[in-house]
Amino acid sequence: MNRPDIFLSRFNKLPNDYTFHNMGNQKLYKGSLQTIILKLLESNDKMYGYEITQKVKELTKGELKITEGALYPALHKLEADGLLDVEVAKVGNRLRKYYKLTESGSKETANKLAEMQEFLKTMQHLVNPKFSLE
Amino acid sequence: MKLTETQIAELYKFTRKHYVEHYDVQTELVDHLANDIEQILEENLNLSFEQARDTSFKKFGVFGFMNVVEAKQKQLGKKYNKIIWKLMKEWFSIPKIIITSAIFMIFYILMSLNINHNYLSILMLILALVDVFLVSKLSKKSKQRFKEQSQKYLLEDMIFRMGAFSSILVFSNLFQLSTFLKSSPSVYFKFFVASLITLAILYSYISLIIIPQRAEELLEETYPEYKRVNNL
Repeated sequence: MNRPDIFLSRFNKLPNDYTFHNMGNQKLYKGSLQTIILKLLESNDKMYGYEITQKVKELTKGELKITEGALYPALHKLEADGLLDVEVAKVGNRLRKYYKLTESGSKETANKLAEMQEFLKTMQHLVNPKFSLE
Repeated sequence: MKLTETQIAELYKFTRKHYVEHYDVQTELVDHLANDIEQILEENLNLSFEQARDTSFKKFGVFGFMNVVEAKQKQLGKKYNKIIWKLMKEWFSIPKIIITSAIFMIFYILMSLNINHNYLSILMLILALVDVFLVSKLSKKSKQRFKEQSQKYLLEDMIFRMGAFSSILVFSNLFQLSTFLKSSPSVYFKFFVASLITLAILYSYISLIIIPQRAEELLEETYPEYKRVNNL
C-alpha cells in the first residue's frame, strides 16, 4: 500500500523556494501569493486552479508565472483557513473544482490588500526617497 | 483539441502512479493537467499526448505532486480535528454532560476507595481491549468499503483509518499511566487521571463510532462532487 504521507514527512522541513516560474526575482513575489489569489477571486467571483495561473500570466504579460506546485497548496491552505469555499461542476468529460471567497475571505482580502499597499509605500520610501517628497 | 474520455482516465492513472492516492486530490490535478495539455497541444501540433503530459507535469517541480498532497492532508486534518472538537463539545453541554460527569465520577470514586489499585489497571486493560475490538470492527468495515468502491476520498480515509490509529495510541498510554497509581493518590492526581480517562473514552467513542456513522453526511458536506459521482 502506498503511504505517501510517511514518505512526505521527510521532506517537510525542506524549504519550498519554488513559487514562481523562471524568475530571478521570485523571492520578491513569494510572500504575495495568497494576496494575489484572493485579489483575483475578489474580481472574478469563482475560478479554478488552471484559470488562476493563466490569469496571472495574462495580467502581468508573462512576467509572473505561478508554479502549480505552489498554487494548489496555497489554495488548500486558504480553504482550510475558511477563506475559500469550493464548488464542483462537470465540464465536458471531467470534473472541475471552483474556488470562491467566503464572507471572511472577502474581509481578509481587504486586509491583505491594505497591508500590501502599506508595504509598497514603505518600500517606495526606502528605495526611492525622492519620490516621497513629491 | 479537447482530451478524450480515455485520455482523462489515463491522467487519473498518471496521478495514482505519482503517489496521489485519493480521488478528490486526483480530480483537481487531472483537470489542471488536462487544461495545460490542451493548451500545450494547441501550441505544438506535433507533440504527442504523453509528451505534453510530461511537459505539464514538469511544471510541478522536483517534488511533483507531493506539495499538493501534503497541503491537502494538512487542510483535511484540520477539518477532521474540527469535526472531533465540535462533537466533543456536545458532551460538555446539557444534557450529555450528565453522562460525561458520571463517567468521571466513577473513575474518581474508584481511585478514592481504599482497596488494591491493581483493579484500575485491569479496568484500563478491559477498556483498551474494547477499544481494540472497536478498531478492528471499523477496519473491517473500511476494508469492505474501499474494496467495493474504486474511488477513495482523503477525508474518508481519515474517518475510517486515522481515528482508529490515534485511539489505540491514547489507550496504550493510559494503561501505562494507570500502573503508576499509588495506594493513596493525591486529589490532583485522581482528578487528572479521571479526566484523562473520561476524555479518552469520549474521544474513542466519537472517532470510532459516531464519526464513521455520520461518514456519508460529512463527506457530502466536504465534497460537493461526492453525491454526484456516487450517483453516476
